Amino acid sequence: MRRKTMLRLGGALITLFALFGVWVMLLPYFWMVSSSIKTGIEVFDLPIKWIPDDIQWVNYPNALAKGAFGVYFYNSFVVAFAVMGGNLVFCTLAGYGLAKFRFPHRELCFRLILSTLMLPLEIVLVPTFLVVRDLGLVNTYGGLIAPLAVDAFGVFLMRQSIRDIPDSLIEAARMDGCSEFGIFWRIILPNCKPALGALALLAFRDNWDQFLWPFIVATTDNLKTFPLGLAQMEGIDSAAYHEIMALAVMGMIPAAFIFLFFQRAFVRGITLTGLKE
Amino acid sequence: MGREIGVDRTLPSKIRRLVAGGGKRSLHSHLRWAGFFFVLPALIHLIIFKFYPMLQAFRLSFYRYDLMSPPVFTGLENYNLLWQNPLFHQSFWVSVKYMFGVSIPEWFFALALALLLNRRMPGRSVIRLAYFFPIAMSQIVVAMVWKFMYHPYGLVNTILETFGIGRINWLSMEESALPALIAIGIWRGIPLFGVIYLAGLQAIPKEYHEAAIIDGAGVFQRFFYVTIPLLLPTITFVMVLSLLSAVKVFLNPLVMTEGGPNGTTKVLPYFIYETGFAFFRMGEAAAASMVLFVFLFGLTLIQLRLLRRGGVE
Repeated sequence: MRRKTMLRLGGALITLFALFGVWVMLLPYFWMVSSSIKTGIEVFDLPIKWIPDDIQWVNYPNALAKGAFGVYFYNSFVVAFAVMGGNLVFCTLAGYGLAKFRFPHRELCFRLILSTLMLPLEIVLVPTFLVVRDLGLVNTYGGLIAPLAVDAFGVFLMRQSIRDIPDSLIEAARMDGCSEFGIFWRIILPNCKPALGALALLAFRDNWDQFLWPFIVATTDNLKTFPLGLAQMEGIDSAAYHEIMALAVMGMIPAAFIFLFFQRAFVRGITLTGLKE
Repeated sequence: MGREIGVDRTLPSKIRRLVAGGGKRSLHSHLRWAGFFFVLPALIHLIIFKFYPMLQAFRLSFYRYDLMSPPVFTGLENYNLLWQNPLFHQSFWVSVKYMFGVSIPEWFFALALALLLNRRMPGRSVIRLAYFFPIAMSQIVVAMVWKFMYHPYGLVNTILETFGIGRINWLSMEESALPALIAIGIWRGIPLFGVIYLAGLQAIPKEYHEAAIIDGAGVFQRFFYVTIPLLLPTITFVMVLSLLSAVKVFLNPLVMTEGGPNGTTKVLPYFIYETGFAFFRMGEAAAASMVLFVFLFGLTLIQLRLLRRGGVE
């Protein structure tokens, strides 16, 4: 009985400690939201008032009016969803091919794909720009999207999770006369939903976020993404912290929404993958 | 398909061949191509947007090229220019400091977080959710929030003041700008690597721990003799991934410090960007990319080798 109480007390202490950690980790975001509803003067008031007396919702429309943010948000959605779609399609196909087929040089293919993890955009920035320029895609959506449409990490993630699908399921479908693509569509996809969720979340986050590549390839205002727009607005009006924070909150919402929607699949996807080997 | 009428006659022999295993070969070779075709789109994409650019970067590093006039072959001049450019040396070391400054604490903090979240406690799923939530945050949001946090009258200084430490203008002093950026990197990386570690921890079969308990192993013994060895593949993965992602940092130095003060936060990607797209010295930028690549490649090889050896012992 006493031991049980001790255990429960220990559990509660750990929870308290963990909650303190949560507070530390999330503090900047609390401050961001709090500052986004204050006036420009109140943001530096001491002692800190987390919820101001007069909530300044007006910061949000005011901030949006400081640039073509409708366009920037639209562009970010286009890029994020297109790249996410590209990753879901190509990485899953490749992951299936690598996980469930034997063909000559399969391991070589896998290694080659994985080795591109060593070639982030930052390293091949100049020549990637030259390729996109030679394809005539500078300052187009195609140019923004194409170089990002496949990510080796996605292939790795999908291969790992598809490998866990029993071969017998695939064999049974093949016996029943299902086409190779039919197997992919009806057997593989439904059985790797968590990994697909994880991939979708990571792809969305990374590409909602794209900064460096649009920074290089989108030169006119109508193709700029939200991060570029926000950085630009901050460069012009760096003292308007309340409005910058309002924009930051709005920039956070889509990713936060996607996270809440996919979080179970995300955590489970990473878990299933096990990242072994 | 056009020989459908003749099927009746050939059917028995076909079946015979199938049974003998002859048909299996044709089925097999058909499947071989199917597998390759599934991989092909991704492979073609990576050839166009990764391998070809990589070769181009290598080639371009021997040329002088400003995007306007045609490239001129200059041999090793670009490398020589870099070698003699103190700003390149500075950028290289800034990147090295940033990489290790961010990654090494991440390895430990993320593991600590995973161990904490793997424990049984009330409200665990909500707490996990709260910790993993920041993974979804975008870099630009993080950069903006932290620029504000580090403001002389921002939250960081306000908190430090309660401990009696004076207000510091973090981002505009040479000694504090890079550490300030490193702190953001660590704070940002912990949840993501925490998830990966947690996945690794959950993959360890419970029986191993139970057996160790029966053998009288304490908490620390179990940690060092059961958890760590079985977690080694995950640890490798986290080490490589954290270094690779730390070396890519660009947005924070660009929008928070503009590489300053005095170049103390000008990481290599920033240097490459500036050389190529602000000064239009594409060849030199490509040469700098090659140096960065060789450095990364060597580092990853060393890590994999060390850990593989560690795993065997």
